[in-house]
Amino acid sequence: MKTASKIYTAIIFVFLFAPIAVLLVFSFNEGKSLSVFTGFSLKWYRELLRDTDTLQALKNTIILAFSATAISTVMGTAAAVGINRLRSRWYKAAMNTVTNIPMTNPDIITGISLMLMFVFVGRLFGASTSLNFWTMLIAHVTFCLPYVILQVLPKLQQMDKSLPEAAMDLGCTPLKAFLKVELPEIMPGIVTGAIMAFTLSLDDFVISYFTAGNGFTTLPIRIYGMTKKTVTPKMYALATIIFFVTLTLLLLNNVVDNDGVKKEKKETGKVKRVAMIVLAVIIALIGSVGIFAGRKETVTLNVYNWGEYISDGSEGTFDTIREFEKWYEETYGVKMVVNYDTYTSNEDMYNKISSGAVSYDVIIPSDYMIARMADEGMLEELDFDNIPNYSNIDENFRGLYYDKDNRYSVPYAYGIIGIIYNANVVDETDTGGWDLMWNEKYSGDILQFNNSRDTFGTAMYKLGLDVNSTDKEVWETARAELLTQRPLCYGQVMDEIFNLMESGEASIGAYYAGDYFTMADNQAGDVDLQFYYPERTNFYIDAMCIPKGSQNKELAEIFINYMLSEEPAIANAEYTYYASPNRIVYENETYLEDMGEDVIEVLYPEIENFSELYNTYAYRNLDTDMLDYINTLWETVKIN
Amino acid sequence: MKKIIELKNISKAFDGETVLDNISLDIYDNEFVTLLGPSGCGKTTTLRLIGGFEYPDEGDVVFMGERINDTPPHKRNVNTVFQKYALFPHLNVFENVAFPLHERKLPKAEIKEKVDQMLSLVMLSGFAQRSVTSLSGGQQQRVAIARALINHPKVLLLDEPLGALDLKLRKDMQQELKKIQKSTGITFIFVTHDQEEAMSMSDTVVVMSEGKIQQIGTPQDIYNEPVNAFVADFIGESNIVDGVMLEDKKVKFAGHIFDCLDTGFEKNEAVDVVIRPEDVDIVPEDKGMLCGTVTSVTFMGVHYEIIVDIKGFKWMIQTTDGVEVDAKIGIYLEPDAIHIMKKSKYSGMFGDYSSFSNELDELSNPGGEDEE
Repeated sequence: MKTASKIYTAIIFVFLFAPIAVLLVFSFNEGKSLSVFTGFSLKWYRELLRDTDTLQALKNTIILAFSATAISTVMGTAAAVGINRLRSRWYKAAMNTVTNIPMTNPDIITGISLMLMFVFVGRLFGASTSLNFWTMLIAHVTFCLPYVILQVLPKLQQMDKSLPEAAMDLGCTPLKAFLKVELPEIMPGIVTGAIMAFTLSLDDFVISYFTAGNGFTTLPIRIYGMTKKTVTPKMYALATIIFFVTLTLLLLNNVVDNDGVKKEKKETGKVKRVAMIVLAVIIALIGSVGIFAGRKETVTLNVYNWGEYISDGSEGTFDTIREFEKWYEETYGVKMVVNYDTYTSNEDMYNKISSGAVSYDVIIPSDYMIARMADEGMLEELDFDNIPNYSNIDENFRGLYYDKDNRYSVPYAYGIIGIIYNANVVDETDTGGWDLMWNEKYSGDILQFNNSRDTFGTAMYKLGLDVNSTDKEVWETARAELLTQRPLCYGQVMDEIFNLMESGEASIGAYYAGDYFTMADNQAGDVDLQFYYPERTNFYIDAMCIPKGSQNKELAEIFINYMLSEEPAIANAEYTYYASPNRIVYENETYLEDMGEDVIEVLYPEIENFSELYNTYAYRNLDTDMLDYINTLWETVKIN
Repeated sequence: MKKIIELKNISKAFDGETVLDNISLDIYDNEFVTLLGPSGCGKTTTLRLIGGFEYPDEGDVVFMGERINDTPPHKRNVNTVFQKYALFPHLNVFENVAFPLHERKLPKAEIKEKVDQMLSLVMLSGFAQRSVTSLSGGQQQRVAIARALINHPKVLLLDEPLGALDLKLRKDMQQELKKIQKSTGITFIFVTHDQEEAMSMSDTVVVMSEGKIQQIGTPQDIYNEPVNAFVADFIGESNIVDGVMLEDKKVKFAGHIFDCLDTGFEKNEAVDVVIRPEDVDIVPEDKGMLCGTVTSVTFMGVHYEIIVDIKGFKWMIQTTDGVEVDAKIGIYLEPDAIHIMKKSKYSGMFGDYSSFSNELDELSNPGGEDEE
């Protein structure tokens, strides 16, 4: 029995702490892979310290957490005192329930409803953007408040009701009676409530995500934004640091609690508690002043981009945003600040902008989304006089379907889907076409996409069908083809493909050329990843646009032009590993050398009739009914 | 004697429920007054009105000639000893007692002197630096008293302060409180539901029931001359019988005419007759004014408690002579053993021992034992 309970305890601890241990270990990994430990290094910690945007997000998160904690602690304590003094039991119970609702509410509902309210109120007052630091602060206070009340109220109820009366009886005014007698009694509850509020605010993602405005990103949002590629290991380093900071806080809290038990030590405990609260208030004040001070008298450019889609100064690379700020000030003599936010999908970006809650000056959507936004009148026409570098854009990337008259967009990067395979498992002779993904020899080794459009794409390209067809029979045919492939698949994945391919767990999968290099860089010793383009395949182009509602269109155009100039354009192409439509880049000797011949060959395949192929094979935006139909059809494949 | 506190026609209701119903009471300097009554009778509310923790809906609270209805507690020259002492747990004994002096911003040396003096008065001299949570109930009680007295208030309010102490300690504290009251000359207003406590300590007892004052008087007055069946029953044990006042000093009850000492009633007025159990003499059956059958005998230590059925009415008699159950006995009443009261709304509710204590207790104490 004893051994059994010991084993049980051990298992519980493994469950609780194994993930953290893995995180900790890999934060010291020399390489990038999550499956192979290549050696001990503090590299990622150094990288983290150089990543100004992440550090800014961290600072924002901490300022927000401190402010939200200070406000919700004061308000929550006051509310608890008020509720406790209510005479009517019914009213008391009602108040309790009402304050608990935000706690039991799913975060997503709280988040959406807060965003709606902010936007609604913002519109009412005619504000062009309604989300900012203050709305986020209100949101955080909203969800922290019930936790503070929950911690303080029981302390008040445990307290002898006649204590404050005794204090008044002995000469205190009601306020003094509260401060001198009640407050010391409920202080442990207040401190616990404050610490809970702090940690809740610190790691909140969902509500922050909905209520974040431009220019104020918190750490959880930033990390989430990085999932365009895999999360970089410097985030493991950051997570490790945060874990230890939280641990310290927790231990500190326990010390405070113990003080409560040992009455003799109460004096010192009281001092410590008061000191903590004072510290929190001071930091919150400094923080809010800092936010104000930092925002004055400068020109601001709001950029909204995919996560990890711009060279950001990490690992000694070119820091595009900071360099642009510097360049702008040198050129125009005016201080300018870029607010740089990230998104994870086109739809994500679309929803945020169409909600009217935020306004951005530059966005970088994908082709089909540009078509949709242009259709809906959400994009500004560009003034190409301000973008002379546009002349460097390859002819192939002009007049494409999503922007036939070249009015709205300037191409930033493009990619082509190809097939990645492990040459140590797959026969060279089997490669070349989409057939490889249907080859029974490799049953259980094949990865399929985990989204409807890409999944159907593999079958439709294989069969030579039109991927933008509105004929349901065409899609039925593709479905039948997918069903034959189904038993051969290892699984349906998106970003998990990196680890599965790198470790050799799976051997065949379709993905973008740029991502293939990331995998090849991190492949395990016995894996040899190779890549080829099948004859028909998907192309995508991401291009820079200016959404309607931009506060500074000319500045946005200057930024776009800057992005096309030599240094940033090359740096970004090298950073993202995606192909560039910019002649300055792909004709640059250093770039070609840096990337290496093999890479260039894969990234820039020689395609004679690029625009024709693109217009034929690239996914276009289909209407909602059609997309719903495709999704439903895909579900039937998945569950089969 | 000087009036310290006057309550004038005070009414108070909580959530529409009347707690005090037109109460008037004068309290004099240097007096030990006890508010006595069962739970829910309004005694604690009366105390809180004086302390300033409640405000009257109607009527006035007058303190030394000045109306203080709206004066907050910290501006009243009145201090309170709370039921659960209400000591401040984050302060030690010294700091608790010194708390009111700190509020008055007295110099440190003076505070120390006064606190030490007060602690010696309540016999806690060596305990100054102890944590209040480490003290026994009686010691906490003393700290609470010391803290309430240190400002030398005109009036000290005590809200059932001895309720949590065991019997012996309670007796000691009763004596000590009385001593402190005598030596300080401060007016004590003491709330209790324990009639013995009220009797043994007070100069004046105020018996309350259902938000009304039933009787005000010295302990002797209250015991010997209760004004109605409620008071007679609540203070000590009483047999209360329906009677008719034939003329002055002649009363008829239980089918027999008795001599008594009471006068001033109408001819043939219906009255309540109170006979205390210890005033009943047991005589042989043939010599009794009334006869009955013993239904139970309980040995109580000093005396026996006997229940006698006399014409269907159960009498309680306390006697030192042993009697057998089922014995036929006679009883004899001296004129001064009989006390006549006017009929009141409490008539018929008390004074019959057929159901003995349980139901009676419920009747006289509707809230049970827990305090308001």
